[in-house]
Amino acid sequence: MSETHEASVVRENLWMKALRTAGVPLLSVVLAMIIGSIIIKASGMDPLLAWGALLKGAFGSPDKWAAGNFREFGDTIGRATPLAFAGLALAFGFRANLFNIGANGQLLLGSITAAWLGLVLAGLPGVLSIPMILIGSALAGAAWAFIPAILKAKVGAHEVITTMMFSWIGLYLTSWIIAAPLKDAAGNSQTPMLAQSVWLPTFDKILPGLFRTPVNAHLGFVIAVVLAVVVWWVLKRTTLGYGVRAVGFNQWAAQNGGISIAKTTVYALCISGALAGLAGASEVLGTNHRMFDEVSAGSGFGFTGIAVALLAKSHPVAVVFSALLFGALSAGAGMMQLTANVSDRIIMIVQALIIFFVGAETVITWFIKRRQKRALEEKGATDVA
Amino acid sequence: MKKSFRTICALFVVFAMATVVLAGCSSTSTPSSSTTGTTPPASTFKAAMVTDIGGLGDKSFNDLSWAGLEKAKTDLGIETKVLSSKSIADYETNLTNLASAGFSPVFAVGFLMTDAVSKIASTTPDTNFGGIDIFFTNPPKNVVGLNFKEQEAGYLAGIVAGLATKASFDPRLNAQNVIGFVGGMPIPPVQRYEAGFVAGAKSVNPTVKVISLYAGKFDDQAKGKELGLSLISQGADVVFAAAGQTGIGTFTACQQSKKALFIGVDTDQFLTLTNPGDTILTSAVKRIDNAVFSVVKKAKDGAFPGGQNLTFGLADDGVGIAPYHDFDAKVPQAIKDAVDKATADIKAGTVTVPETLK
Repeated sequence: MSETHEASVVRENLWMKALRTAGVPLLSVVLAMIIGSIIIKASGMDPLLAWGALLKGAFGSPDKWAAGNFREFGDTIGRATPLAFAGLALAFGFRANLFNIGANGQLLLGSITAAWLGLVLAGLPGVLSIPMILIGSALAGAAWAFIPAILKAKVGAHEVITTMMFSWIGLYLTSWIIAAPLKDAAGNSQTPMLAQSVWLPTFDKILPGLFRTPVNAHLGFVIAVVLAVVVWWVLKRTTLGYGVRAVGFNQWAAQNGGISIAKTTVYALCISGALAGLAGASEVLGTNHRMFDEVSAGSGFGFTGIAVALLAKSHPVAVVFSALLFGALSAGAGMMQLTANVSDRIIMIVQALIIFFVGAETVITWFIKRRQKRALEEKGATDVA
Repeated sequence: MKKSFRTICALFVVFAMATVVLAGCSSTSTPSSSTTGTTPPASTFKAAMVTDIGGLGDKSFNDLSWAGLEKAKTDLGIETKVLSSKSIADYETNLTNLASAGFSPVFAVGFLMTDAVSKIASTTPDTNFGGIDIFFTNPPKNVVGLNFKEQEAGYLAGIVAGLATKASFDPRLNAQNVIGFVGGMPIPPVQRYEAGFVAGAKSVNPTVKVISLYAGKFDDQAKGKELGLSLISQGADVVFAAAGQTGIGTFTACQQSKKALFIGVDTDQFLTLTNPGDTILTSAVKRIDNAVFSVVKKAKDGAFPGGQNLTFGLADDGVGIAPYHDFDAKVPQAIKDAVDKATADIKAGTVTVPETLK
């Protein structure tokens, strides 16, 4: 009797845990969409038409799928890819209680490294050059995070300030490199087009039987998914991951337990930087095949990555799904403008609301706890009776 | 009580799914009715544009292109549409969506859309595309590049500046015979403005000294102001800025120092700056609206000028010089006559303005 009771308690706790980890983000998305609908309605447009257009723009339609045309879905995956890498970067930092707000700078360093190495290694076959470029970009991202990491570890300089400052330096450094040494002969604000040998193949090249028309989704997404699992495994099963989580949970307790805060901080921030660097590389090798000056391109994947990681509650595998959601929102926004006349700014509002509600989790957990407490009180009352 | 919370959550999820499913269903049926509802049934010709990340309201390229389409809507009775882009990833999506919705021609605003247009044009050969400020290498039959002879507008601005610095119709004009140029970045359109400006000034005032400074950026008003003050300290009393937002800082330098007159760029900046009347002499303008309109008109007549790069100059009303506005009464007739003569000469082909500095 007591055994089953305990089992039910365990089940209940697992259920509550699952609810807290997945329920709050899901609820946030739903609430954000409801408020978004009210705004659309208030501006005189049709919310159902708008969300329908968004879905169509983000995933396509069955008749197109039947013809092997997955352009819209490919667009969503293509947009989700840099967000997944950047989300992983932020999530890894969050696990060590580090807010790598300047991930965008590390990402740009990864991009420029890929744009440069891609030109240098154009003669090699892709199987050799692509891994070399990816490693180079990861190292560049890690290097850009290293100085803030050392400053944090040695003198306690807050990473929010230092990584942000380095992000600005990275922005204008890459902007200068694109304007001067790596300038494309054809024009301003971009580096030369890379040779096809270093392009990450798109899904229609990998699986021509399934994807019968060109899509933007490329191998980078597969790499991001694999990395998400690897990051999850590192955090869960390795000494390094244990240290990262311990420092993130309570650094003084971790130190008491023999874990070096300084060392773990440096490792965590550099790994975060490396993941951000890969986001930049995948965008250059997979999507644009050159680097555009971020000052005029305004992609800001490193910043959206913050939102992606928050929505995923820093769970590496959940980051992939979170990135897909943000990818779908941005891919579908164009169709929403076109068929429902709804400004794409609405999508930005919805994204902001999602983050707001995830941030408001404390309110929701408070709500849950209050319910539990009241339930216990009622139970107590019936017991007495 | 836990159960009731669970029920609430479940209800939420069900509601969400219902919304999604409903939305999915409605999307298949409603769009057709909404599009036919807003357009006159006779018109099947639809032209559209995709903005760069500046979006509508930039008082520059995007707004000018849209003005061209709006004119086409009124004059030619066609349907128009504009999609704005938040980042570079939106270019391709927006262009493709417009092409699949039957819009043609579709205009792309700005050099950064070159790759996106080239890629999509090859997969959708039935849609025509126009690239504003894009010079395509070997454009296919369904692509046209719309470029401008900025040097010709710069030349006219140079004549105004070159003659004004010698004149004395305003107390700010000094006797040092120096004029200034502020460039955003040293890219071809800006360099063409500069080359034309220098040539125009020298054509009417051979001994004039033209000082050129580059900000390296189009969005830095502080830098623009700094460069403006630097030019003024070197004796410049007329300053021409081809520098986007940076140029607004240069304008401020001229206005606040009360030592120089300003010449605007791309649009008639008398209409876009705040209280510019006492400082802005004129503007060298790019008539993107005229260029867009002319391409739409040709396309509607079945003669889309694809497979080439067009350059719009004075002769095509593609560039020009803005009115003098508040300075109209002050500017001597000799300057106005010189500008008119140069305009006629350039249109007739007797004067060719250089694209680069000699």
